[in-house]
Amino acid sequence: MIDRVKEKINELLSEGSVKGVVALVTANGHVAPCLFQKGDDLDTLCLGDTEKSGDARYPLNRVLCTIARQYPDDVFGVLVRGCDERGLYGLYRLNQLEPDKVVPIGIPCPESLAQACECKKPYPDDIVAGEKFEGISQQGVEDMDNKDLSTRFSFWMDQFSKCVKCYGCRNICPMCFCRECSLECEDLVSKGDLPVDIPVFHLTRAMHMADRCIDCGLCEEACPSDIPLRLLYKKTAEIMNTEFGFTSGINKNEKSPLSLMGPAPEK
Amino acid sequence: MDYRNTLTTCTYCGCGCNFFLESLDGKLTGTIPCKTSPVNEGKLCIKGWNVHQFVQSERRLKQPLLRKNGELTEVSWEEALAFTASKLKEIKEANGSDAIGFFASAKVTNEENYLMQKFARAAIGTNNVDHCARL
Amino acid sequence: MAGLAAAFGSGAMTNAVSELELSDTIFIIGSNTATSHPLVATRIFRAIENGGKVIVADPRKNQIADFAELYIQHNLGTDVALLNGMMRVILDKNLQDDTFIAENTEAFQAFKDALDDFSVEEASQITGVSVADIETLATLYAEAGSASIVYCMGITQHTTGVDNVKSLANLAMLTGNIGKLGSGVNPLRGQNNVQGACDMGALPNVYTGYQPVTLGPANKKFAQAWGVDELPSNIGLTLPEMLSGIEKDEVKALWIMGENPVVSDPDANHVVKALEKVELLIVQDIFLTPTAKLADVVLPGTSFAEKDGTFANTERRVTRVRKAVDPVGDSKPDWEIIQDISNRFGFEMTYTSPQEIFDEIASLTPSYAGISYDRLEGPGLQWPCPTKEHPGTPFLHKDGKFTRGKGLFHAIGHKPPNEVVDDEYPFWMTTGRVYAHYHTGTMTRNSESLDFEVREGFLEMNPADAKTLDVCDGSQVKMASRRGEILTKIMITERVSPGLVFMPFHFEEANVNKLTNPAFDPIAKIPEFKVCAVKLEKA
Ligand code: SF4
Ligand code: SF4
Ligand code: SF4
Ligand code: SF4
Repeated sequence: MIDRVKEKINELLSEGSVKGVVALVTANGHVAPCLFQKGDDLDTLCLGDTEKSGDARYPLNRVLCTIARQYPDDVFGVLVRGCDERGLYGLYRLNQLEPDKVVPIGIPCPESLAQACECKKPYPDDIVAGEKFEGISQQGVEDMDNKDLSTRFSFWMDQFSKCVKCYGCRNICPMCFCRECSLECEDLVSKGDLPVDIPVFHLTRAMHMADRCIDCGLCEEACPSDIPLRLLYKKTAEIMNTEFGFTSGINKNEKSPLSLMGPAPEK
Repeated sequence: MDYRNTLTTCTYCGCGCNFFLESLDGKLTGTIPCKTSPVNEGKLCIKGWNVHQFVQSERRLKQPLLRKNGELTEVSWEEALAFTASKLKEIKEANGSDAIGFFASAKVTNEENYLMQKFARAAIGTNNVDHCARL
Repeated sequence: MAGLAAAFGSGAMTNAVSELELSDTIFIIGSNTATSHPLVATRIFRAIENGGKVIVADPRKNQIADFAELYIQHNLGTDVALLNGMMRVILDKNLQDDTFIAENTEAFQAFKDALDDFSVEEASQITGVSVADIETLATLYAEAGSASIVYCMGITQHTTGVDNVKSLANLAMLTGNIGKLGSGVNPLRGQNNVQGACDMGALPNVYTGYQPVTLGPANKKFAQAWGVDELPSNIGLTLPEMLSGIEKDEVKALWIMGENPVVSDPDANHVVKALEKVELLIVQDIFLTPTAKLADVVLPGTSFAEKDGTFANTERRVTRVRKAVDPVGDSKPDWEIIQDISNRFGFEMTYTSPQEIFDEIASLTPSYAGISYDRLEGPGLQWPCPTKEHPGTPFLHKDGKFTRGKGLFHAIGHKPPNEVVDDEYPFWMTTGRVYAHYHTGTMTRNSESLDFEVREGFLEMNPADAKTLDVCDGSQVKMASRRGEILTKIMITERVSPGLVFMPFHFEEANVNKLTNPAFDPIAKIPEFKVCAVKLEKA
């Protein structure tokens, strides 16, 4: 698969249809996000699999946004998995990226990764190489729903109280880009002390991500306290789906129900 | 267009987390925790996440300063280094090696600590070297 | 460090941080881990998730205490009494590891005899912790399959710091919790490269790798390698001794690289006086710190992001520092500054890169001998790493084979802190860190996001004391010790018990180190930052 990906990138770069490609590289014995440009050696390109597949994923769309903000007129390629593509659709919708300035280079995820992520759609619409696996049901959410209210409540409060307020969940998130972050709004979350205000901090973020989170799981992987954030956001996404029939990033052109005024639309 | 991620080690606490300093055209734009580091496995604390912010701060010292007429005044490296070396020589000659003391630092690299104690011991001739590990 | 070196032969953290995940019991004493070492807290949270138990002893309640099987709030400066009480319980209940003691340690009998006339009741009376709680602490620690001890400045920054550490070493040896996976005595280094600065011989008595400066093979070896006829063999002055040397007119010049003693050292007024007095003060730093403002010459160094090099973390892991951007303005990497001065001074240095310096270090330092920049591509290496093939050493003293041969027990009794409360200064005051700041705040307070989190200093006070003083959250108080006074805002919290106040030391404008006590441990020379007596008054 990787050879096909390299070929594709090489094609894009040498024909000049993109200025650069955001992907991953192996350097200094580690995996890092990287911008490949014309003439760069593609030998060190990698897909972010080290010990397990997808265990060294990075928020490449975030990197793309950083670069595109400085170079708004250029077209860039970007390596995407299913979640990254959902992210691109979301970022188009939220006016953070322009669709005609982005060339996604899609790869599907293997079954093991799809299982670990409990991913609804472990492949992008456009695939350069590799074999698709179908989506997986949200067992984690269901299991949690089956517990009684007080068990759930104390589970989450215990988890939240481990928070060390690193803001890593926000900083790593490819869908977080607000200049003024609600987590830093003192009317919502008090500052200056640990443990952070719970559950306000975590629920504020969950609400704010409700129509944006594309379930990539990077936040949970970045959490130093191993708080199961992804599960929380999966549940939020499920509510969005049952109430509004909306799933972030699944349809390229769908508007978010949260950006519409008035009563909830008919299901 | 020069976008880079440079793998390095945190300058704050003793955990020694590894992360990439992200830069675009010579400006630091962010910090990205290294997923494959056995130390921090893709995680950081609030200090690490914001470590790029102080580096290119406007308040950084950009020029050597020398006290002239009681005021710290910007001078060239040439002047600052010449002053420092000759003053050290003068004091060593007048008061002996042990009249000079060195505070090395838990904040600079191993190589720099090594060099400072080498200078103290081999050039000045004193073991008056310490750092604030005790603190 | 001195305490561990005396007991085990090496002053470093005995085990790797990741091993904490495997511990059955983790005993945290004098460490606010979630705040000061969040990525160590990660492992502790995981240990709990894995079914491990955590026990916490700290005069000030911290975040991890909420997850502890047992949290005890012992009186400030009573760590030895607490630990001796626990060991009394262990011996009484016969929970010690007799085989380990017999095979791997010495001086056990003397240690045991000294404990003979110390009772748990006495421990309880000194520490203010109930007998039942001391018993539970002791059993949870001693009955665990593998138990780790984690400590930080709450243990070392006392006049009895070395005693405290030796007592922790006693506890570990008594129960055989050393030299195996998931155990050990683990000091968390406060600053990123404290371990490295010590390893590199930035100490008055040793060269790199703790090779003594006194006459002997190391002294000769270094003289030869550095191309000088002889090297000084008298032990040099420690940091507080250099400052008092200035007062006594013995020290005339001071070169400070990357430190800010005006904010970081105890009794700040006194430090300022010394720095004002010294004939030549050279300060090398990246910001114009309060210390740099006193200098005769200020040399702009570069930050870690603008140079190459290595750091050694708290678990003895050496990793690379790499240059990400060019130095700001005219600033220069610190190694270049030293080299430039050295050459002008008349001692030639011709390094072209930090890598060259590192190779010299490796050639002179047995514990670093196998490390090279090439080998540091990847996860880094934990010293000792004596050869090019050696994989590094995650935990020390394997199977009870201590670096010094046998582990040494020390007989230690409780001593009160240097300064105790009295009618005039009735409050105990202790210092520490907040999550968003680091050390003297030089770097963190120049970071927007961190400055936003905590902008100013504050004093934590129990609600009962606030009531007596008739102050509320956010009021100003005047706090004074025998050495100085400061104004500060207060924060009312149950984290501190009545009679105890806490203040972070990152803030130069409310510099709590104007108040702290410079009295230091006779061996480690670490000042007693953690205890002093103060009085408080509504401002
Ligand atoms: S969330 Fe889905 S698409 Fe993304 S990495 Fe996991 S399995 Fe792949
Ligand atoms: S899973 Fe986490 S990181 Fe990914 S989009 Fe959702 S909130 Fe952001
Ligand atoms: S990543 Fe985890 S610890 Fe950090 S702020 Fe988010 S929830 Fe808290
Ligand atoms: S990121 Fe935080 S925990 Fe990690 S080394 Fe830096 S200060 Fe320490």
